[in-house]
Amino acid sequence: MANTLLMAKTAAEAIAAKTASAAFLAGGTEVNRLGSSVEAETLISLKKCEGLDSIKKVGNMVEIGSMCTFQKMVESQDIPAYMKEAALFMASRTKRNMATIGGNVAARRSDSYLLSALCAADAEVSVLTGDVEKKINVNAYINEENADSLITGITVPVGIKVASKRYANTAQSHAVITMSAASTSRGIKLAVAIKNVGILSFNLSSSGKLTEEAAVAYFKTVELKGIEDDMFGSVDYKRYLLGVTAYDLCKQLTAGSGKEV
Amino acid sequence: MDNQYKVVHCTINGKEVSQIVDVRASLTDMLRNDFRLTSVKKGCEVGECGACTVIINGESFNSCIYLAVWAEGKDIWTLEGLAGPGGELSDIQQAFIDEGAIQCGFCSPGFILTSWEIVNSGKEYTDDELRKALSGHLCRCTGYENIFRAVKKTMLRRLGKNEEAELVNSQGITEYPDPMPFK
Repeated sequence: MANTLLMAKTAAEAIAAKTASAAFLAGGTEVNRLGSSVEAETLISLKKCEGLDSIKKVGNMVEIGSMCTFQKMVESQDIPAYMKEAALFMASRTKRNMATIGGNVAARRSDSYLLSALCAADAEVSVLTGDVEKKINVNAYINEENADSLITGITVPVGIKVASKRYANTAQSHAVITMSAASTSRGIKLAVAIKNVGILSFNLSSSGKLTEEAAVAYFKTVELKGIEDDMFGSVDYKRYLLGVTAYDLCKQLTAGSGKEV
Repeated sequence: MDNQYKVVHCTINGKEVSQIVDVRASLTDMLRNDFRLTSVKKGCEVGECGACTVIINGESFNSCIYLAVWAEGKDIWTLEGLAGPGGELSDIQQAFIDEGAIQCGFCSPGFILTSWEIVNSGKEYTDDELRKALSGHLCRCTGYENIFRAVKKTMLRRLGKNEEAELVNSQGITEYPDPMPFK
């Protein structure tokens, strides 16, 4: 249990204070909750860090500061619709007023609200390590150890087509499956967040035809480490949901484009 | 242990206060234990039920997952602060009574404060938007329709649409009179 709280005023100050027994604290919706999975002796609060909550449109990209809240994203005119939809997956307005994009990505939860949309859209994460800031693809970020680094921003593309779908017990609870599909020049990119399994990405080539049967058959056998029967559904049911959802999202993306799914 | 306690200076229901708090304490604990503001309910403690909602700088927050030390310099309002100096109820509180939107009352303070943020925004929300805006709250008595109606009517009245507010039926739907009545 944490016994010390440090209030960092800048990102550099936060990084300097980071030790192995410390954790960053962004909006607090994950770390402060009862039964949080985050264990640390010291919490480094980022609430007072200046300049981390801006939203800037740069060409066909939008740079979102890591401390930007979900509600701020929902209300901003610069944020693309698919990111607003992902932010609204957190149904509670009171929680959206607190939760931050950086915190949600850094938590790397398998039932993350945002990660499937970010991964499908190939968003980039700006990471500060020591005094070096670099941008890495979000798919790489979630698979790397970044214990001593701090997310300072997320860059998302605008003008791309992304469709998402979420399955959860209630509007309030974390999802069992959140899947997003993005239309890219190389075909369709699928990303899915599966509770207790993780975030997985799939590239579907633009050639060839995807049928519902093929999608269901693929997810029936694909390796999904950690998937289990639980109160949310059986493994077979979850795999079936993944298949039909993948097909539905691809169909949604190609509707009207003349392309075969 | 020097870092374990901090002094927080903030405004609660219009009064400037200072309080020594444990850095691990939630705002719910500070408001309930140190200021006896018991309208702030302890419910799920994971930020899902909305019973602990308070207004911070004009926006609704779950105080159970909001650290008390984050309240430094903030303007905080709880349900106790909504009533007038003579104890007269605010319009949103009165609407909850008028529409029978209070049953056991546990969720009511949170619902009313989020509703306060909604009606103070000056925006006219659609029914769908209004339902989504209220979705951070759970009512175990399942009195959602009455709550929805109270918020919708208050929103319309605040926007000067008193006549329209009277047309909201028991299901919360605005029933406009038929412009072309049958002859």
